[in-house]
Amino acid sequence: MSTTTQARRNTRPQDSSVLHTYETLIVGAGFAGLGSAIRLRQAGIRDIVILERGNAVGGTWRDNQYPGAACDIPSNLYSYSFAQNPDWSRAYSGSREILSYVEGLVRQYELAPLIRFGQDVIELSFDKASRRWLAKTAVGQTYGARTVVMAQGPLSNASFPDMPGIGSYEGHKIHSARWDHGYDFAGKRVAVIGTGASAIQIIPELVKQAGFVKVFQRTPGWVLPRPDYGTPNWMRALFRRAPAAQSALRQALYTAHESMATGLIWRTPASRLLEQVASLHLHSQVPDAWMRRQLTPDYRIGCKRVLVSNDYYPALRQPNAKLITWPIATLSPRGIRTVEGVEHQADCIVFATGFDVSKTGTPFPIHGLGGRLLSEDWRHGAQAYRSVSVAGYPNLFFTFGPNSGPGHNSALVYMESQIDYIVQGVRLVIEQDLKWLDVHEGAQQRYNAAIQRRLAGTNWNSGCKSWYLTEDGFNSSMYPGFATQYRLQMRRLPRGDYSLVR
Amino acid sequence: MQLDLDRMRDKIKASQWALADIDWDAPGRELVTNDPDLYPKLKAFMADLMWIEHVGARGFAAMAKKAPNDTLREIYTYFHAEEQRHANAEMALMQRWGMLDGEGLPEPNINIRLVVEWLDAYADDMPLSVLGSVIPMLEIALDGALCKFLLETVKDPICHAAFEKINADEARHLGVDFHVLEMLGHSPVYRQTLQMAGKLIDPRLLIGILAYLPLLNRMRDNLVELGLKEERLYEAIRKYRRVGGTPGGLRNPWFQLISRHGGWMVNRRNRLYHVPVDALVRLTGKIPPRLLPQIPSWVHELTWKPTA
Repeated sequence: MSTTTQARRNTRPQDSSVLHTYETLIVGAGFAGLGSAIRLRQAGIRDIVILERGNAVGGTWRDNQYPGAACDIPSNLYSYSFAQNPDWSRAYSGSREILSYVEGLVRQYELAPLIRFGQDVIELSFDKASRRWLAKTAVGQTYGARTVVMAQGPLSNASFPDMPGIGSYEGHKIHSARWDHGYDFAGKRVAVIGTGASAIQIIPELVKQAGFVKVFQRTPGWVLPRPDYGTPNWMRALFRRAPAAQSALRQALYTAHESMATGLIWRTPASRLLEQVASLHLHSQVPDAWMRRQLTPDYRIGCKRVLVSNDYYPALRQPNAKLITWPIATLSPRGIRTVEGVEHQADCIVFATGFDVSKTGTPFPIHGLGGRLLSEDWRHGAQAYRSVSVAGYPNLFFTFGPNSGPGHNSALVYMESQIDYIVQGVRLVIEQDLKWLDVHEGAQQRYNAAIQRRLAGTNWNSGCKSWYLTEDGFNSSMYPGFATQYRLQMRRLPRGDYSLVR
Repeated sequence: MQLDLDRMRDKIKASQWALADIDWDAPGRELVTNDPDLYPKLKAFMADLMWIEHVGARGFAAMAKKAPNDTLREIYTYFHAEEQRHANAEMALMQRWGMLDGEGLPEPNINIRLVVEWLDAYADDMPLSVLGSVIPMLEIALDGALCKFLLETVKDPICHAAFEKINADEARHLGVDFHVLEMLGHSPVYRQTLQMAGKLIDPRLLIGILAYLPLLNRMRDNLVELGLKEERLYEAIRKYRRVGGTPGGLRNPWFQLISRHGGWMVNRRNRLYHVPVDALVRLTGKIPPRLLPQIPSWVHELTWKPTA
């Protein structure tokens, strides 16, 4: 450690007493952080700072720029209702277009002055005496704020999986969430590990570019067809002239996705129907019975994330592609050795192995009242009140907190209602000049007992292993209900369930 | 035999090997190729052995779908691949000894073809109790009789190196097989018997039995031709009875049926059994290959090449 850093660390506590105290500090300049800033400003909160660890906005959509990256939810629904875009080029836009939309939000709402780039928060602690949160960043700076919005994103961290022999592999390694745009796939032998939501978007693009693509699958997913289309010009013109028409389409898409909940979240005749749609989709695209067997899941639809694609199965059938379902024994210097004894040699391995989703810990230490540590409180699974507040951590608000994930509808619909709830909380603290706003422990426990009771009957908890669950099978990720139910519970912050300390 | 399945799974994962671990071009092949007496018989034997491993692999694939818990499902998924590895390694030996015509698969005999067709069509519909009781019988025959016999007959050091690895895998397979055999016997005997009776009139299973019996007889004939003492097969059946004859195993009517059937099969003097089954062997030999459906695509996954 250099002496300057040492000196800075030693002096920080003194520094913090002279810090500017923002009304709100937002961690992350992705969809959630920027949306929060927009709504907070509209509600009269002006003194905001956004700490972003990267050098650009967009979060997950900035990072996930692999070939074929797109959203599984139609763009007209995967956008903010208060900032609709009449110019989406397709029903399901690609990640570049989504990123442009996010960048457009920054311009339209003049958010740039609020953002501090290169500020990776490494610790957050509540200072009771000065009744504010102190955020330390990796470059040694400290920010103070009355309230904090956690918008660091659930899918923001990705790393190579801990597979045997991964260190010995001498070829090129690429993680789907950190794409290497400089690598030329032409003529290369490429291995893709993983067949989740990212993989099934990457694979069709790689099959077009690479010499040969081997896809290593552990568990197949249910794949539904994607009703994609290029937006006709008249539609864009209509949306520009009559935004109400776009709102109507949004509402229709919302309702259609809501109806999917009946089959995806709970086991109902609709689940069977969706499974049959997926099976038909598979049958129509894969003629070989053994390959269909390899691609057919043996768990209920909805238990793991449902995949949506029209070109994944056809890509696997191309002469330069092969699906491999043998378990991986180890990586070797030249490729992947599977248990059937064969070394599948590859010039490049693409790891589409997902994200490091934190279900028990926190992205950095968060100290609440009395020095309590959130990762300790969440040791057995994360819990919050209405997914936003955690008892003992006053004036701190989570976006995409525990049990806020949808399995059937747009994450942005959920996010928007979280943000509007958070705005109520922040306004309460600022306008009433509260020392703190802290949810009652009892209210949080009652809320979670009910959530867990309801989760027990869902497809997520029906026995498969998924990233929604902790190692012990505890579900701290998903919200067991319709988006409409979630929005209703988020409409009003119930003051009775919080202590308002003046 | 009670096992800690989680530990077994970890052990399986830690004991992986690949075809590339063996030097298939090392000296010693002439110990086989220069023996004109042994060569044609060994070629037929290796083809049978390789196919039976492959058939076993497909059996494990079906069992993975029926496994009562995640650990056992994962173990069976590994076993499926490991049996395939054995078939691949045996093919690599055949390649070493110049027994493969071109790069293709050894020609399966008609009884193998019929069993493959049956597995492809119905194995996934069979309950764990049937597959879980038959598989240990086949594996113990493979492990106890065939492989030992092969190693006594063939002096090629690479053959020994390969089978050392194969046998180590098979020992783990047998451990799990007999654990499951015991586990399967734990429900009330009357219920198991009723379920078995119900299954035995399932035409899909009957077709399977009709495909399976002549395969065993044909293979036994091939083995005896190569010089295998029938006593070896008796030993294997006795071992199946001894190891499987735990309290749970004895309560499993499939175990009872299969161990009894094993006795009939190895006893050449049991005419009541062998006259009709040998007739079946001859009858199936008359089936024109063009009547058989196309070989299922999973068969084409077999390869003798260590790298791909």
